[in-house]
Amino acid sequence: MGIWDHAVMGFMSVFSGPEAFSILGVGISITLIMILTGFLMGITVGATPGLAGPMAMAIALPILISIFGFSQDAFLPVMGFLIGIMKGATLGGSVPAILFNTPGTPDAYMTTLDGYPMAQKGQAKKALKVAHLSSVSGDTFSDVVLVLCAPFLAVLVESYLDLPEKAALLILSLAFIAAVIGGSVGKGLISMGLGLLAAMIATGEDFYPRLTMGSPALAEGFPIATAILGVLILGEVFKSIEDMIRSGIQSAPRPAATVAGDRLSFAEIRRLAPHIARSSVIGTIIGALPGIGSTLAATLGYAFARARYDNKRSASDPRFGEGAPEGIAATEAANSAVSGANLIPVLSLGIPGNAAAVFLILGMESIGGFNPGPAVFRVPSDGFNPELIMAFGLFTAMFLTNGLNWTIGGVFMRAVGVMARVPKEVLLPVVLLLTLTAIYVQENTMAAMWIAVGFGVLGYIMRRVGMSPLPFVIAFILGGKLEETARQAFAATGGDAFFLFTHPIAAAFMVMSLAVIVFNLRKPSP
Amino acid sequence: MFKHLTGDKWLGLTAVIAALLLIFVWVPLDIDTGLVEKVRRQIRLGDSLGPVTAGVVILLGGILTWMRPSADPQSLSVDNLKWMATLAVTITVSFVVMRFAGPMVTSLLTDTPYRALRATPPWNYIGYIAGGALLVATLISLARRKVSLSAALVGIIASLVFALLYDLPFDDLQLPPNGDV
Repeated sequence: MGIWDHAVMGFMSVFSGPEAFSILGVGISITLIMILTGFLMGITVGATPGLAGPMAMAIALPILISIFGFSQDAFLPVMGFLIGIMKGATLGGSVPAILFNTPGTPDAYMTTLDGYPMAQKGQAKKALKVAHLSSVSGDTFSDVVLVLCAPFLAVLVESYLDLPEKAALLILSLAFIAAVIGGSVGKGLISMGLGLLAAMIATGEDFYPRLTMGSPALAEGFPIATAILGVLILGEVFKSIEDMIRSGIQSAPRPAATVAGDRLSFAEIRRLAPHIARSSVIGTIIGALPGIGSTLAATLGYAFARARYDNKRSASDPRFGEGAPEGIAATEAANSAVSGANLIPVLSLGIPGNAAAVFLILGMESIGGFNPGPAVFRVPSDGFNPELIMAFGLFTAMFLTNGLNWTIGGVFMRAVGVMARVPKEVLLPVVLLLTLTAIYVQENTMAAMWIAVGFGVLGYIMRRVGMSPLPFVIAFILGGKLEETARQAFAATGGDAFFLFTHPIAAAFMVMSLAVIVFNLRKPSP
Repeated sequence: MFKHLTGDKWLGLTAVIAALLLIFVWVPLDIDTGLVEKVRRQIRLGDSLGPVTAGVVILLGGILTWMRPSADPQSLSVDNLKWMATLAVTITVSFVVMRFAGPMVTSLLTDTPYRALRATPPWNYIGYIAGGALLVATLISLARRKVSLSAALVGIIASLVFALLYDLPFDDLQLPPNGDV
């Protein structure tokens, strides 16, 4: 079977999976329903300040696993749902940013700068339409780049990289993530080292489970989903509740001025197009690099657009920050373009670049049968590669989500503005209980809830000392893979202790790892 | 001597000490094989190499954090420690209630042991709803700085909804603490 046959089978698998119900004798697959549900939930979650896409993905994952189990049939419904949340949340984040001057997700902060002034001028609906058009355009562009680049990158990796080079590539990725996330290289390295250490506990090749201090509770190691939910979700909940206790509860935001002047003319779309295109490219490049998130993409997209806009602006046009639609377009196209491109390192290298990608990888690993990495795109000379079919199923799910985004996304996002009024002090404790329950249901022991709380405290401390928890999480996920690859490389090179430096490409990756650390050290500290 | 240390200096120092303890105390005491080992005349990487690498990364991070502290360093304050203590008490009490409320109520009202009833409504909900409601209501009350009936109601409704969400559609799933009793 060739690549085209795999693509067709992947496409068909989305439509012909287990049937949810039928309309006029035509069966509707459960995957389609899950994509739609995830997308609508994502917009709702994105529009709720205090809940971000990754948080909803984290809470949903154990519930989805409970519903669908661990069979291969579970893969597309679960992943379709998670992808729906990821894409929907990016769009939904702009709603409270425009209507209430409150970003629903961190990457929508820049949208408030022009979105809210537009809403105050009675152009809320128009601002939402600009956000929708830009977000969907950026997202679609990014998905096209993903489909074109991920297989080629994977083929390159398979063709040119042997075990020493793959080990060095993992080290480069970890070094890049530790160096660029957050403001401090030192703290990034500490976070990464702790993640590697957590991954080492109770693993190894010896009969005795290492680093367990003889404790039976540690003999199985840390359940990966429990630890990650603890650090990323519980840590954030603990911090946010404390912030509310210290600074008081913000009163519910007032709705913006009445909606008027809602037409978005073709001439205006033409004026926005260059800003959308430029930001889509920026967001896609940023998204493809592990460790750099959508917030930076939005900031860069906005900064580039402002410089360009200021040169061409007529006297009657509003400045950036005073209600320029171009500001919304530049921000939303950039942050949405991250969501497709961040799957490039996930699918082609098995390396998650941001929190959303972490939960996608976690979903893939929880269900099993799909190991993200270069082997996914291997076309066998005989028979078929089930992982390649699943990858094309994922691509189909992404484009279907885009289709939903183009068609019903705009209408739905205008209906969820009310979510900004959900009180955060109620929402966060409920999220805590739901997360703990989801962990228990998966692990079936209260010890897992305690472990999650322990990792939650670690996540809380990290946030308080200004250390990003993301390098910890990514190192925790990749730690076992790095050790395994290093063991194989060492054996394959006949016990060469310097295998990372005696192979030219591996040595180049190691030099790049050092360079990225040194380069970021030279930047002024924040 | 330590009075002049900023938050980042403390963090760097702590990381360096932790890394040295990991490399020179924990790893040698708790791992049987070294950095490399010889098995059937073949040299392979030992189980110590990974943890030592993690330790070296933490050590490097600690040194860099010590040498290049942020201009606006953040650190744990006494208020943060008080919040963690409050949180620990809240979560511990809620978990204890969650664990023991069901067996206690069952022993008061029936002669059947709780274990035999742990999949039977309403007995299987008692601990989860009591502990879950307590957790949610306490945290809402802390955030609002006042105890209110509405906080208790939110806690009860949220835990009841989650209990039904998991228990009704799935026969094979157990709510906390029913897998432990």
